[in-house]
Amino acid sequence: MNAIAEYAGPKRRRGKLGSQLRIAAGVFVCFIFLFPLIWMVLTSFKDQRDIFTTPPTLFFTPTLESYITYLQRPDIWRRLLNTVIVAIGSGVISIIAGSMAGYALARIKLRGAGMIGVLIILSRGVPPIALAVPMFLVARSLGITDQHITLILAYCTFLIPYVMWLMRGFFMSLPKELEESAMIDGCTRFGAFFKIIVPISLPGLLSTLIFSMILAWEELLFALVLTNRNASTIPVAIQGIAGDTINGANWSALTAVGTITVLPVVIFALLVQKWLVQGMADGATKG
Amino acid sequence: MAQQGIAGARRGQSRTARKLADLMSRWAFMMPAAVLLLAVLAYPILYTIEISFSRFDLASFSAVEWVGWENYAHVLDDYRFWDSMKVTMVYLVFALPIQIVLGFSIAFLINAEWRGRSVVRALFIIPMVVAPVVAGGIWRMILDPLWGIVNYLIGLFGFGPLDWFGDATLAMAAIVIIDTWRWTPFVVLTATAALLSLPKDVFEAAEIDGANWWSKLWSITLPLLVPIIAATFVVRWLGAVKMFDIALAATYGGPGGATNVINLFIYEEAFRSLRFAESAAMAVIILVATMILTGIFLRGSRFLEERY
Amino acid sequence: MKQSLNLMNSISRRALLVAAAVVATVPAALAQEVEIRVMANEAFANSIETTEVVEFNKHYPNIKVVVDGVPYVELLAKMMLDSTSPTPVYDVMIIDDPWAPQLAEIGVLQDLKSDEIAAFTDPDYDWSDFNAAPLAAGEWKGVQYGVPLRSNMLMMFYNRTLYDKAGVPAPTPALTWDEYLAQAEKLVQDTDGDGKIDSWAVDTYFVREPLTPTIWQTIMNSNGGKLLDADGKPAFNSEVGIAALDTHKKLLDFAPPGALGHGFTESLQAFRQGTVATMFQWGSVYRSSAVDPKSTTLTPEEVGIQVMPAGSVTAGAHRGIWSGAMSAKSQQKEAAWTFLQWLSSKEGETWRANNLGTFPARKSTLASTPAEDSQWLTPIYTALQLAYDVAAKGEMWRIRHPRSDAAQQILADEIGRAMAGRVTSEEALTTAADKIEKILK
Repeated sequence: MNAIAEYAGPKRRRGKLGSQLRIAAGVFVCFIFLFPLIWMVLTSFKDQRDIFTTPPTLFFTPTLESYITYLQRPDIWRRLLNTVIVAIGSGVISIIAGSMAGYALARIKLRGAGMIGVLIILSRGVPPIALAVPMFLVARSLGITDQHITLILAYCTFLIPYVMWLMRGFFMSLPKELEESAMIDGCTRFGAFFKIIVPISLPGLLSTLIFSMILAWEELLFALVLTNRNASTIPVAIQGIAGDTINGANWSALTAVGTITVLPVVIFALLVQKWLVQGMADGATKG
Repeated sequence: MAQQGIAGARRGQSRTARKLADLMSRWAFMMPAAVLLLAVLAYPILYTIEISFSRFDLASFSAVEWVGWENYAHVLDDYRFWDSMKVTMVYLVFALPIQIVLGFSIAFLINAEWRGRSVVRALFIIPMVVAPVVAGGIWRMILDPLWGIVNYLIGLFGFGPLDWFGDATLAMAAIVIIDTWRWTPFVVLTATAALLSLPKDVFEAAEIDGANWWSKLWSITLPLLVPIIAATFVVRWLGAVKMFDIALAATYGGPGGATNVINLFIYEEAFRSLRFAESAAMAVIILVATMILTGIFLRGSRFLEERY
Repeated sequence: MKQSLNLMNSISRRALLVAAAVVATVPAALAQEVEIRVMANEAFANSIETTEVVEFNKHYPNIKVVVDGVPYVELLAKMMLDSTSPTPVYDVMIIDDPWAPQLAEIGVLQDLKSDEIAAFTDPDYDWSDFNAAPLAAGEWKGVQYGVPLRSNMLMMFYNRTLYDKAGVPAPTPALTWDEYLAQAEKLVQDTDGDGKIDSWAVDTYFVREPLTPTIWQTIMNSNGGKLLDADGKPAFNSEVGIAALDTHKKLLDFAPPGALGHGFTESLQAFRQGTVATMFQWGSVYRSSAVDPKSTTLTPEEVGIQVMPAGSVTAGAHRGIWSGAMSAKSQQKEAAWTFLQWLSSKEGETWRANNLGTFPARKSTLASTPAEDSQWLTPIYTALQLAYDVAAKGEMWRIRHPRSDAAQQILADEIGRAMAGRVTSEEALTTAADKIEKILK
């Protein structure tokens, strides 16, 4: 016992220095990845005439004009709200259906399920461009174009396969004894899944949920084809500003709307991270 | 005797019932996803296959005449299709491995235990959230030879401005850089989650055994991560095959088609040229090619999973 | 005086409509509140809804107009998807220059001169006042499907300060492409004397995109070349066409670094920063490039605008008109046509030009004097009128055909390859001609 403690002593100190280096390197890498975004935020406070200067200007009189102009437009708010609805709707449906399917693939012996799983993931091979138009035709004949549910269902088609496959990976790395012992204790298969497996896979589930919601958040093609006004999302507005054929792309506006669009997701991710760490701590004490 | 028989039958019945219920509960996990996808996807896929073999009528947006392999012949005869395939291959061969390796390395880096960890992790996802057209435009601004900060910085060291979007090789490099910037965070996100859910006791045991950092990584962490690395790769691969928005926003597929990835070509054929039949034929070719390659990757990942 | 005239006009028109409704005893659609929906380019949809519709409603308070924007690139496909439906959502579509044939061919557009529509047409609505070139954009096979709402022509913009600094005389409509290329060398200059080139001669479309071929086409047209021959077969892979593409490519030598990746937005950025002396660009960008201090560093005094340089045969021009068209299946044809009619009427057009800076298509508007605070429009009116005449005479517009966008995309691809130096001009145009012939057959 003592010997082990003595042995661990110097090593842990060395580990501390190493981990500080690691942290510094991590922060540095993070900064590199964030640099273009810093540039985006800076640009959003510039007047259009100050954006494309040689050399690039770092010091300028900031203006809130783009934010004010676009936040006053009712369609931006409507589209932001639609984006939230659609991202949450499709994210939640996909995480439930997809993680159950992923669990079936990883753990449940079921003849034919593997084949279905492979088919589901292979369905992602269809270029989305090919799907958008027929989906619109179906929605039109059902009379559900320009509605949130249409977009949510369309997004589920690409989110579920991803969720299923990622969660299969997470579930496979769990020790098998977990749910076996639970089921011996009289849990049903559903009980074992929701009470044992889900809590312990929380990091994976949450990161997959974030990923799905981001994919839905920034999706453009289906949103363009399937919506007109009521369910139109933010990426459509952004595409419109970028493709301004009258005055040229207004980069002040684009970066401002871009920044507005990013904020809710960052806040959401920060909240979830807290929750995630807490969940981990709970799990550890229980274990 | 008779009673025993009845009881036996009952037992048999309840056994079948239980078996059936068990089977049902097993299938219940698979069903929601399968049914939903079948309902939403079956018709669009069949429609795409149908119009790829037909003459397409814009007035009714439907297939009007069976033309056999004609659309496919047109597509295969078009040098632009083959050029796009080549461009897509080059992009995939560079972008995918870089993103996976970089993503998992960064995950190891930022997973050190400290207070800012969760903030760093949350900030890391932002590149994914920025709309592709904005991301492409910002990178254009940063890389532009006239007003871009990168060339300004290069210029301070006395190097001439690089024409990132005027040179075929540099333009492809730019696409790979932008795509890597955008999607490495996904790999980081998944990888950090995977690292978080690794069983701690194994590592404690290894530490007691005096295993060093490298051997812990190589003989414990990586094998445990194989399923999730494989899954991340497959998901990223299926996403990357479909990339076209970044190319559209950053290079317009140029210069001269040097970054015209196959999905951009399909998109332009459908939405700009309104040649839906040809675009459907290409979509089906891509579907088949993706299926074959994905099948190979799945085999590969199963092999790895079984080995470890 | 002018206001009272407007007022009288609108009063008499309303009286007329009411009278017509009473006489015909049809359900007076305009007496009750109706709603029409408009699909337009996202770039100006919001501005239509917040300015033009508001003004329109002062005259026709009972017609509620909802304008939905769709990003330009997906607009045509979206119009087709909606208008081919048995019950389309949209009554009015604002369509780009080459789209009338494509939409007319699938039977979704309303003939605006049909008896049904003529019954709703104001007797004062003067069709013959439109210039031929803009009106022709809404026509296909002799039927008028659209009225010009936002007219546009390719123009030559120049920065007087940079011209003066280089000692190059300001261009005139007589300037030819050859003369321009000779001047271009001098326009690449070092303006602040630090030994580094910081100002270039020209920026325009060079990138791989559907509007890049319009520059090449303008050069070719002015040298007497044609896109298609009399039988509708490609004729552009001629000596004139190849020489024109070489000229377009030559412009790159005098363009700023990175210009191969430049298109609409990028060339605007360079010009507005005073980085290039000349820009070949759509006339409509004048306001944001010379007038609006938020978006440009230049002033109207500094920015000259005129027709494109001339070739060996004629002056150069290229047309880009947004026309207002109606869905053939619309349930609100009277209201929809009333809206389009007002926008394109003398009165509506003048109001929009003076207050929003949209370019007019009517001869009478172009001959009039712009309102006091829109004086910057004066040189543009002159240039526009000249460009309309040139364009009409030389048929200077994109291919008009039910598959014109497919042909334009091929031109974009091939001219993009030639620009990037991956193939010669001749190879590019031969490939394009071969492919386009197959598409148009």
